[in-house]
Amino acid sequence: MSGVLRTQLGESARRPSRLLLTGMAVLVASFVVYATVLAQQITRASILDGLSQTPEAAALVVTGKDNGVPTEQLARLARVPGVTAAVGRVDAGGEVNGRGLSLSSDPGSGPLSTVKVTEGHYPARTGELAVTPRTADRMGLRVGTTFQMATTYDEDGRPGKPRSLTVVGVVSVPDDYGQQAYAPQPQISALTGADRVSVVELAVAPGQEAPVRSAAEAIAGAGAGVRSGADVRLDEARAVADDVDDVFSVVAMFVAITLVAAGLVAASTFRIIFAQRTKQLALLRAVGAGRGALVRALIAEGAMTGLATGVVGVLAALGLGHLVPVIAGAFGTDLASPGVPVLPALGVIALAVVGTVLAVLTPAVSASKVSPLEALRTASTSPARKGIGWPRAVIGVLLAGGAGLVAAYVIMNLPTPDQKNYDPQSMLMLVVASGGLAFLALIALGPVLVRPLLAAAGWPLRRLGPLGRLAVGGVGGAPRRAAAVSVVVALGVTLIAGSLVGASSVQALLERETASSAPADFEVTAADTPLDPKLADQVRARRELTHVVPYRKIAAVTVTGSETKLEANDLAMDAVPGIAKLDVKKGTWHGLRPGQVIISGFAGDVSDLKVGDRTTITAGRRSVPVTVAATLPDSAPLGSGLVLTPQDLTTLGAPAGYSGLLADAVRSGDVARNAADAALRQTVTGPGVGVTVLADQRDEIESALSTLLLIAIGLIGLTVLIAVVGVGTTTALSVVERVRESGLLRALGLSRGGLRAMLTAESGLYGVLGALLGLLLGVPYAWLAVSALGQNAPLTLPGFRLVAVFVVLVILTALAGVLPARRAARVSPVVALATE
Amino acid sequence: MTTLASEPGTLAAVSAVDLVKVYGAGDTAVRALDGVTVGFERAQFTAIMGPSGSGKSTLMHCLAGLDKATSGRALLGGTDLTTQPDRVLTRVRRERIGFVFQSFNLLPQLTAEQNIMLPLDLAGRRAERGLFSHLTTTLGLTDRLNHRPAELSGGQQQRVAVARALVTRPEVVFADEPTGNLDSRSGAEVLLFLRNSVRELGQTIVMVTHDPGAAAYADRVVLLADGRVAGDLDRPGPDTIATALRDLAAAR
Repeated sequence: MSGVLRTQLGESARRPSRLLLTGMAVLVASFVVYATVLAQQITRASILDGLSQTPEAAALVVTGKDNGVPTEQLARLARVPGVTAAVGRVDAGGEVNGRGLSLSSDPGSGPLSTVKVTEGHYPARTGELAVTPRTADRMGLRVGTTFQMATTYDEDGRPGKPRSLTVVGVVSVPDDYGQQAYAPQPQISALTGADRVSVVELAVAPGQEAPVRSAAEAIAGAGAGVRSGADVRLDEARAVADDVDDVFSVVAMFVAITLVAAGLVAASTFRIIFAQRTKQLALLRAVGAGRGALVRALIAEGAMTGLATGVVGVLAALGLGHLVPVIAGAFGTDLASPGVPVLPALGVIALAVVGTVLAVLTPAVSASKVSPLEALRTASTSPARKGIGWPRAVIGVLLAGGAGLVAAYVIMNLPTPDQKNYDPQSMLMLVVASGGLAFLALIALGPVLVRPLLAAAGWPLRRLGPLGRLAVGGVGGAPRRAAAVSVVVALGVTLIAGSLVGASSVQALLERETASSAPADFEVTAADTPLDPKLADQVRARRELTHVVPYRKIAAVTVTGSETKLEANDLAMDAVPGIAKLDVKKGTWHGLRPGQVIISGFAGDVSDLKVGDRTTITAGRRSVPVTVAATLPDSAPLGSGLVLTPQDLTTLGAPAGYSGLLADAVRSGDVARNAADAALRQTVTGPGVGVTVLADQRDEIESALSTLLLIAIGLIGLTVLIAVVGVGTTTALSVVERVRESGLLRALGLSRGGLRAMLTAESGLYGVLGALLGLLLGVPYAWLAVSALGQNAPLTLPGFRLVAVFVVLVILTALAGVLPARRAARVSPVVALATE
Repeated sequence: MTTLASEPGTLAAVSAVDLVKVYGAGDTAVRALDGVTVGFERAQFTAIMGPSGSGKSTLMHCLAGLDKATSGRALLGGTDLTTQPDRVLTRVRRERIGFVFQSFNLLPQLTAEQNIMLPLDLAGRRAERGLFSHLTTTLGLTDRLNHRPAELSGGQQQRVAVARALVTRPEVVFADEPTGNLDSRSGAEVLLFLRNSVRELGQTIVMVTHDPGAAAYADRVVLLADGRVAGDLDRPGPDTIATALRDLAAAR
């Protein structure tokens, strides 16, 4: 070990608090990065769990040649060495009291099971079944019930002889549609008499995947498919929701941004530490230490700090990552476990080392450039550098220009509604790239931007008296440090603001979707003959139901100037609470009067109509003149193109009978919903009349969204954490750095409380600066990203929430300064003044 | 020529009575002050001198309410600083004491004028306009008031620090090696000004120094050695001081 290195390490040992502070930044950084990796794992697995039927434990999935895999092959697959479990999936179905019941196979236990017994026991004999809770309620299939159902069908699809079946248990499943029953595969196969299963899922011992795969291919024979479980899950998820990949790319974006934030915090911490050591380094130079030896020593120190804190950070994140699903489970949200991703863990540690060394490099080189003379000067005669050199200014302006150009490209190539072949992923990446460039520009130009921003933000504080002026002066006196901290806070605020704007856009999109496809809990639809108008009153009379709104639909109407056939309805939109929050492109859909029309986005596109335009709507030989009252971004409620008043729809020839009606259960919750369902089915009877429980669909959308939201909050929380820790470490370091200044102020008669207040205010000011910068960047970039998603989502500005974020962040950053401020106030003025 | 240290009487602006300060404990304990009794009269410029480790800085810190003595009394006017809580000491420092330090200790982010006004700002008081302009004019700072410390020479920085110490009309100004970081010309300017402020404004000044040349500007020189008063010179010249210091060193 060289003498220089020994001195450096000795310094760390002598002042462990400094090493702790440096390490803190890296520790938090590696914690955050690995936690983000785990969050990504949780997100992926949770989303796939929600959208795919194949369990995560299925390493391989065998699909047969034509219609499934013969049961004889299933037995052979189960015997392949390395296979820990083999399950055949087979489905059947039948009708009980006029309602469909699907039968699915599931082993009931083991790694490949997707059900969990909550009551009774899992079927073991042919003829025994387990049902889901909703199925038990809605279809009256409680444990112990025996019923008749046909399970075989002849060539023409006519049901065979009914069999006697017994419910022996209730099982919980990921998605409960209220019409599912389960039994092991051999029992279901015995009921249907089929000698094939549709797929075989194999759980495989670790490391045995390749040999098992070739064995499985040999058994299934040529033409059969053997695919990895992960591929199948992803395909199934894509089939259900085609924007799964977008969600994953957004998560990847978060990982990238978190990395940048962590790097920024580490770099600025190191810069401050090395600035503090300038004098010591200069002394080493004065006694003859070479510049190269200094750089090497500092880098070695950086690497050691990176290694130690990287490992601790990864372990901490791992602990948290495995705790979160447990906690979320306790609150009723199912999250998948992240597992132990070893490669990313090693990667993060390597990254911590490399990142720390890189973060060290800049300040190390500039610290080692210090003239030996610096050692002989007093601290007060070498003030902090204020401005930035012209190379930095030029780079900053170039970066800002680059960010602008990329953003301009994205804006010019934004998708039109319903554009085909649009690739949101690459556009999103461009948005991220532009945002990244903007941030680098902010880092480069920060010290210059801080001054005017501080002049504005610090004004009210300066009015508060000398303490405020000192705090503003303390921040403004070191614009480089202020800029370095504010940028980290800004990054956090940008992410939060972006996520809030994005979430509120998605929420609006979801409300639009709900208004269009599931505006109420129940929908009654007529098949051929319209519903009797008296029916609506009968439904209204039921106590279990409320908000009963009947509607009529007519197909094939046209708008002047367009040949396209559109569907029109006369739904009284104001009477349906489920569409209260539907957004408009322009105008308002509330209080629609005769002679007015609401048009969907599609209808607006084909007819080129704007709000206030007059047009004529034609159905066959009848027509009615109308004014456009509102244009909607997407489909109108019930999937129609036009919404008119009942009066105008009658003019267009709509019959008096209803096409359908919407109704809500009086209360939320499964009990009220099931009661309402039963009431509705008793009241509306007759051939071709169908009752759909839209509420179940809405639940699914909402539960998917709440899981996503939970994960998003977790990811944002991590960034906020890193921003607050960044402010905390910087304030702590700046307190250490300026202990002499604190001592002077105390000697001149500043009270302990006054010093605490001043330092806390300074730390809060970093928050104000950062939050301002963050809002200025975050909101526009979120709008750009929302537009680039190509989902036709609205651009929203959740003002109240953004203000709340601003306030909370300023409070958090101020709190981050409380501990260092307390520490500074405790130091005696004599000791502080004696410090170099 | 040495006399006994003057007894603390009604004339003393600040005085120490049997003041003891012990750093550390047990075997490593150091008695920095070992029973010092000394008074500093109003409207007088007193220098405290002594070899390194004689306790002169510690005495000043205890008398200024920056540090707490182990036993004895440190009296400012009628107030015993050794028994006061931090809240009162803070007030005393802000309103009744001024400081001038060896390394200037100006706040880099404030202008010269803001640095001068800082103690008044902290106390929420207004400056006496006449005093402020008198100080800045006499110290030659009128055209430097909007400069920050980094833009000032060492002498100018120390003159700003002197103005800061005097602007509150404190009962006593403590100066700790005020010329230690200055060239001889700037040092002489600062010392002359300090002496004039005693004559013209009736200011009480206690200065710690180890430079006989600087001490010669004082009305009186108190000598310390090993934490005790070892001599008291009235209006001595530089040569008298140097001789006394040499005798002090020889006696040990």
